Amino acid sequence: MDDMDDMNGRNGEETYDEGDFDTGLLEEELRQAAAVLDPLPPALLQIAVDAYALHDLDARVAELTFDSLVDAIPVRGAADPPRMLTFEAGEVTLDVELTSQGLMGQVLPPGPARVEVLGGPQPAATLTTDDMGRFTADTPPSGPFALRLHTGADVVVTEWLRT
Amino acid sequence: MRAGVIPSAAYDVVPYTRGGTVERREVGALVRSAVGGDAAAWKAIVEGLGPLVWSVVRAHRLSDADAHEVYQTVWFRFAQHLGRIREPDKAGSWLASTARHECLKVHRNARRLMLTDDPQLLDRVSEDGTPEQSLLEAEEAAAQSERVRRLWQEFEELGERCRQLLRVLIASPPPSYQEVSAALDIAVGSIGPLRQRCLRRLRARLEARGTT
Repeated sequence: MDDMDDMNGRNGEETYDEGDFDTGLLEEELRQAAAVLDPLPPALLQIAVDAYALHDLDARVAELTFDSLVDAIPVRGAADPPRMLTFEAGEVTLDVELTSQGLMGQVLPPGPARVEVLGGPQPAATLTTDDMGRFTADTPPSGPFALRLHTGADVVVTEWLRT
Repeated sequence: MRAGVIPSAAYDVVPYTRGGTVERREVGALVRSAVGGDAAAWKAIVEGLGPLVWSVVRAHRLSDADAHEVYQTVWFRFAQHLGRIREPDKAGSWLASTARHECLKVHRNARRLMLTDDPQLLDRVSEDGTPEQSLLEAEEAAAQSERVRRLWQEFEELGERCRQLLRVLIASPPPSYQEVSAALDIAVGSIGPLRQRCLRRLRARLEARGTT
């Protein structure tokens, strides 16, 4: 593999005399170049500061247990297959399907629930499930999202993900 | 890894005591304060470790849009897991590792894959002010900025693994080797030797161009 050859140095480069070569100095110079040419955008820093509002001790986190992007074999010929996600928190399971047309999901065990579609620290759109625990949104979330599920006294939030 | 990357003490005598770790000794305490409701502690964590997350994301060559979204996802998830982080002292490694996983997910999603090998990249206008402007503002001497530009260009043209390692290492403040290990999934013991090798390569490139 090219990369590995690159890392290991071919053609006897190991004998290169590093002598008084100050790697710390070159690294520091490169660090300063990065600070000028590829810095962390200030807007992103601020978004991360604001993300403190997402710190929620009362909600249980539903972990991602299936992501078709990672766990599924791509369907041959399907140009734009739906993204299938499953989240679980204890006995609660949340199945979600994302397409370019929107978002569909089902809460199990089925029942009435309120589902907030979070896109960041800002206020969220709220959906309501039917008796089967199903819910739909006409537009897919853009960018990072999480679903906050209210069933009775219980609050469950899915792990943050990118669409 | 081949035999060529067996860690050697001579390469790097202080792999665990780089500058960043000293400043980050308090990370565990900051995390605990943030869990307790201290917004200033959270801000300090973001300011101390945000550049590391950015470096990990940039090391993975995502498009700007993907890079921004991955960065946000990592911090949203960290905020969400704040009270459940098992080892608060290793928050930096948690963030680096989460960033890496999200970056790999982007690469897996072929629809989103967009390499940024574009030579125009350095001249791109970012939404947060142009690098050109900040460059000019930051560097009074034109010769100096030209040197920075050449250094960056040679860095960008290093082999992919070297470019990736160095991009993480040059976060500011500098990451600990544990964080670099989490960011790139390489053994802590091999980071020192690889770092030496990659910087040596970079210097050789600069010398070949007569830049040093």
